[in-house]
Amino acid sequence: MKVTIPHMGNVYIAAKILFDSLGIDYIIPPLNNKEALLLGSKHSPEEICLPFKLMIGNYISGIKEGADTVLLVGSCGPCRFGEYSELQIKILKQLGFNVEFIVIDPVKSTGIKEFLRRMHRVGAGRKKNGHSKINALFSAYTAMNLLDVIEMKAHELAGFEKNSGECKRILSSCKKEVYSCNDPKTALNILSSYRSKINKISVNPKKNPLKVSIIGEIYTVIEPFSNLYIEDLLMSAGVSSYRNLTPSWWVKDMLLKPIRMNSWQLLEASNEFLPLYIGGHARECIGEAVLASKNHMDGAIQIFPMGCMPEIVSKSILPTLSREKNLPILSLVVDEMTGEAGYMTRVEAFLDLLERRRKNVRFGN
Amino acid sequence: MRIGIPKGLLYCKYHPFFETFFSALGAEIVTSGDTNKNIMDMGVKTCVDEACLPLKIFHGHVNSIKDKCDYMVIPRIMSICKHEYICPKFCGLPEMIKNSISGLPMISSEPIYLQKETQALKWCLSTGSVITNKKSKIKKAFQLGQKALAHHKTGLYEPNNNLTIMLAGHPYILYDEFLNMGVVEKLRAKKIGIITEEFADNSMLEEQVKKLIKKPFWTFQRKLYGAASSFYHQRKINGIIYLSSFACGVDSIIIDLIRFKVGQFPMLILKLDEHTGEAGLDTRLEAFTDMLERRNVHESHHSSHGKCVYSGEDPV
Repeated sequence: MKVTIPHMGNVYIAAKILFDSLGIDYIIPPLNNKEALLLGSKHSPEEICLPFKLMIGNYISGIKEGADTVLLVGSCGPCRFGEYSELQIKILKQLGFNVEFIVIDPVKSTGIKEFLRRMHRVGAGRKKNGHSKINALFSAYTAMNLLDVIEMKAHELAGFEKNSGECKRILSSCKKEVYSCNDPKTALNILSSYRSKINKISVNPKKNPLKVSIIGEIYTVIEPFSNLYIEDLLMSAGVSSYRNLTPSWWVKDMLLKPIRMNSWQLLEASNEFLPLYIGGHARECIGEAVLASKNHMDGAIQIFPMGCMPEIVSKSILPTLSREKNLPILSLVVDEMTGEAGYMTRVEAFLDLLERRRKNVRFGN
Repeated sequence: MRIGIPKGLLYCKYHPFFETFFSALGAEIVTSGDTNKNIMDMGVKTCVDEACLPLKIFHGHVNSIKDKCDYMVIPRIMSICKHEYICPKFCGLPEMIKNSISGLPMISSEPIYLQKETQALKWCLSTGSVITNKKSKIKKAFQLGQKALAHHKTGLYEPNNNLTIMLAGHPYILYDEFLNMGVVEKLRAKKIGIITEEFADNSMLEEQVKKLIKKPFWTFQRKLYGAASSFYHQRKINGIIYLSSFACGVDSIIIDLIRFKVGQFPMLILKLDEHTGEAGLDTRLEAFTDMLERRNVHESHHSSHGKCVYSGEDPV
């Protein structure tokens, strides 16, 4: 069995650590690129959202490299994400790929027995005892957390750094180094060393950079290819960016949902504008926007794929929120036809606007 | 008190209930007129750009009666069947309306769950309290509304010996003549039989749905997919016409599920939005029905060598 996974930001690094420590054969498809997008949009339904198309592209590249099993997480509505597995299985079958799908759906909908059966299939044929399995899960989760912390720090400190571009360099070399390492223990050590590295970069605390919050649909904010590397762009522009939705946040959210202890801060903040759960991460999006204004951010950028149902609802709420909370918000809709030039122009114009609002235009970095 | 009920979205399915319920409480009912150009334009102007056409039209209906009533019913229908939803946009409907349209009267934003009578009654008790404090009166009005709803049947069943097609799509597209540019009348004029999802055999429908890998979580996905595949298996229809609005997330899944099920079987997908031109729609309808007729008259149902007639699959 050779497992492949779809990409979503840095998840592939944690997945690699998990597979390495479980001793499972795996293939990580090449990072999202034009080819994956092209392949994906060719074989996907026309009006489905962007993540679906990119995932299909990932599977096909993974399968061509020899994978025979696809590992995927699922949900149970009301957003389209829950139906991904159904259609993707059919599409790959029609394309003539003989692959097995292991879909990890929430326990609530499949029942504990089916959930455990599916989990068992992931590790089938491996002679690992329960203890080392739990250890593997734990180290993957730790890696995910560390990566998210490093990334968060890098995005924040980019606005304060003395040597411009340092944060960006550290972040990219961290990802490269940890990905090339095949031993889970060393990988975790590398990550912790990078965490202290990023904490020690020389900063100028007197700087007052723009602070922008990135909100919106979880896949498009986390996967850099789908949002045209907006966080890198903000880093080079010397803007501190903040993002709440991370893979480790998602795991925590999923685990705490059954006892209703998940991200209560966000949900509480969203109560004023959207008091009910409507699927996807619309409530979180609204909550983050409210928190952004509370934390004195200069603005927020909402990103979502074309046709995303929950985010359309939040987009219709955001103008009111923007007016009432005095927080400029830019909504960006992405799909396979997003043009880079138009996109960048809008982001730059938005940043310029935020600067002017402060009544003093800053120069350079 | 004047209660406004916009004539959009699932109004076509549930209007007898809402109308009977509120008039039994002694309120005056104000409904918007049938959809027209004016209403659509108003909706397009106020609604968020990315939304689908039925939602934009709903915004238009709200706009047209907002000054004529004291209280407006914006049904936040969360779910009709257990573990199933309709669409995330339905769950956030009052928020969308509130934040896009100014000068609204008071609106109802309580969630509606229709799986159980007690849950529906809960909505009635909280919304009815705007008009009267008497719980018994509300309960009585609720019973009357239920009765009226039970007599209300939607769906089209006009079989034809020659050609019958399944008209598929969300009810708010199928039964809004302006939105779908009178597709039903056009088909009738061509003497083509029509059958809709409501007339599928329920047990057969469930049986087809069970064959899916994952249990559907949208009510209309279950119904449309189940109905289309059971009609197809029973050989009840000669083709499927799917009316869908542009950027409908639910349809983007259902259409492909049906497509995978029926394979090469004739299926026409009509995407509708505020820019749809009637001439183009007519041409496509005509071409499709001509094709079905030719298939019936001139071509026997002989498969090409080694292929199944409908699915195109290898039979061996």
